[in-house]
Amino acid sequence: MENNLRRKGAVRVEPNTKRDARVHRGAEHHRLNVADRSRSYLRHHAEVARQSYFSLLAQPLTTFMTLAVLAIALALPGALYTGLKNIQQLGSGWDGDPRVALYLKQSVTEAEAETLSRELLLRDDVAATELITATQGMLEFKSMSGFGDVFNFLDTNPLPAVVMVMPRDLSVASVPLLQTRLQALPQVDDAVVDMAWVQRLAAFVVLAERAVWVLAALFVMAVLLVVGNTIRLSIESRREEIVIAKLVGATDAYVRRPFLYDGVWFGVAGGVFAWFLIQLSLLLLNGPVGQLVSLYDSQFELAGLGLIETILLLLISILLGLCGAWLAVGRHLRQIQPQ
Amino acid sequence: MISFDNVTKRYPNGYDALSQVTFSLDKGEMAFLTGHSGAGKSTLLKLLMLMERPSNGRVLVGDQDLASLANSQIPYHRRRVGVVFQNHQLLFDRSVFDNIVLPLRICGFDPSDAARRARAALDKVGLLSKEKLNPVVLSGGEQQRVGIARAIVHKPQFLLADEPTGNLDPKLSEEVMRLFQQFNQVGTTVLIASHDLGLIARMPHRVITLNQGRLVSDGK
Repeated sequence: MENNLRRKGAVRVEPNTKRDARVHRGAEHHRLNVADRSRSYLRHHAEVARQSYFSLLAQPLTTFMTLAVLAIALALPGALYTGLKNIQQLGSGWDGDPRVALYLKQSVTEAEAETLSRELLLRDDVAATELITATQGMLEFKSMSGFGDVFNFLDTNPLPAVVMVMPRDLSVASVPLLQTRLQALPQVDDAVVDMAWVQRLAAFVVLAERAVWVLAALFVMAVLLVVGNTIRLSIESRREEIVIAKLVGATDAYVRRPFLYDGVWFGVAGGVFAWFLIQLSLLLLNGPVGQLVSLYDSQFELAGLGLIETILLLLISILLGLCGAWLAVGRHLRQIQPQ
Repeated sequence: MISFDNVTKRYPNGYDALSQVTFSLDKGEMAFLTGHSGAGKSTLLKLLMLMERPSNGRVLVGDQDLASLANSQIPYHRRRVGVVFQNHQLLFDRSVFDNIVLPLRICGFDPSDAARRARAALDKVGLLSKEKLNPVVLSGGEQQRVGIARAIVHKPQFLLADEPTGNLDPKLSEEVMRLFQQFNQVGTTVLIASHDLGLIARMPHRVITLNQGRLVSDGK
């Protein structure tokens, strides 16, 4: 039996002719050619990616905890960014068309107001006008504010008629000019450009944007550290294997590869996890925001992460996983040398 | 094949592990490297493996001056060398087969080709029937043979062994030495560090002797 095995073994060592065309084997050593090398390179990538994936699944609790930290660290800036985007969108709804509100004098009758509104429409510097009569104003106030009962205590409607004027030229310089000209009209009590809150909002958005970036930078560092630390532990636990692989001729790239794939998988899963957290938090906010928005009579709708933003989130997450792994691997693999 | 030319290795603490060692080993030769512990045997092997670099002198393997190899080329140099370690250096998280196939994976062999070669190497050391076992259940002698199979599986140009019979009884030691002789007979250059003088004396091979880092006899 043993003899038989031995013979079989000896036969196996014989170079197989099909491969021999590609593997040039000398009497004592052999070299692999370029095509073989690149094929084995790709095969190793695929193999390592698969092994890394399953080794992460093999330790579900550890992997889950790391992923949860990653996902939260990614979701926080992601959610803030989404919120900011929504606020910007809210601001931009008005931002584009500043209007001049003309509060007419109490003495101006409804018919005169109507005439004024039409006359203004003929001016070159006015794009559109909209008349809100005193009665309309009162009805709107009653229905929207919830203080409608106040009017029951008043003999007359205290609200003036208002003509909303949309300037043709929306530049920052010309709107105040139009405001002064309209202010001079005899029927007009006061001309107000309702821009202040838009400007305040814009300033707030700039501030919030800065804050999101600062926070994002901090969380990016957190992600790098979390991935780096996890990979460091993984390297420590495979120290022996690394030493032996180096002794039998593994390149640094070969040794590095499994850990980089660990980082990539953390990135992929962490990104997906973070996406769900962001969408879930938006879902939870959707109800209250809808209520708030309906009070303002607005068409505003809470927007989640779009396709591009989702892809971006995943890419950033994968990149961070890879970078975190790279940092850990670069630092610790150098220290592991055969002694 | 291997040539040491006036090689000195001084460690940072000022200790000279090797001083002015000169000898050469021809292609296809088999030799023992002997001396007391601390004589510099391990350092000499480490220089050949590029685990250390000499402080002075030249080490040539083949026609290659090892000093000319950058750190990034060390892995490719190690692929030309098979090493058997005293403490086997086997991985206990995988089967015997997976231990042996590791150098082939690293060199980038096709998996089926690698499997064929790994089985041939296991057959050579008489452990083909144990390929699926974890090395932890094997005896010391068997573990050493797995280590030898791993060292020769990629048909290295030369084979180094550091105290390969260190923990084995005389009978097993002789078997292991006979294995090395077999590899030598098919053309592999073999250098074995050992202090088992009785065993060495019984074998018809050159003996290179070191004492406190100096070459006492190159056995020629």
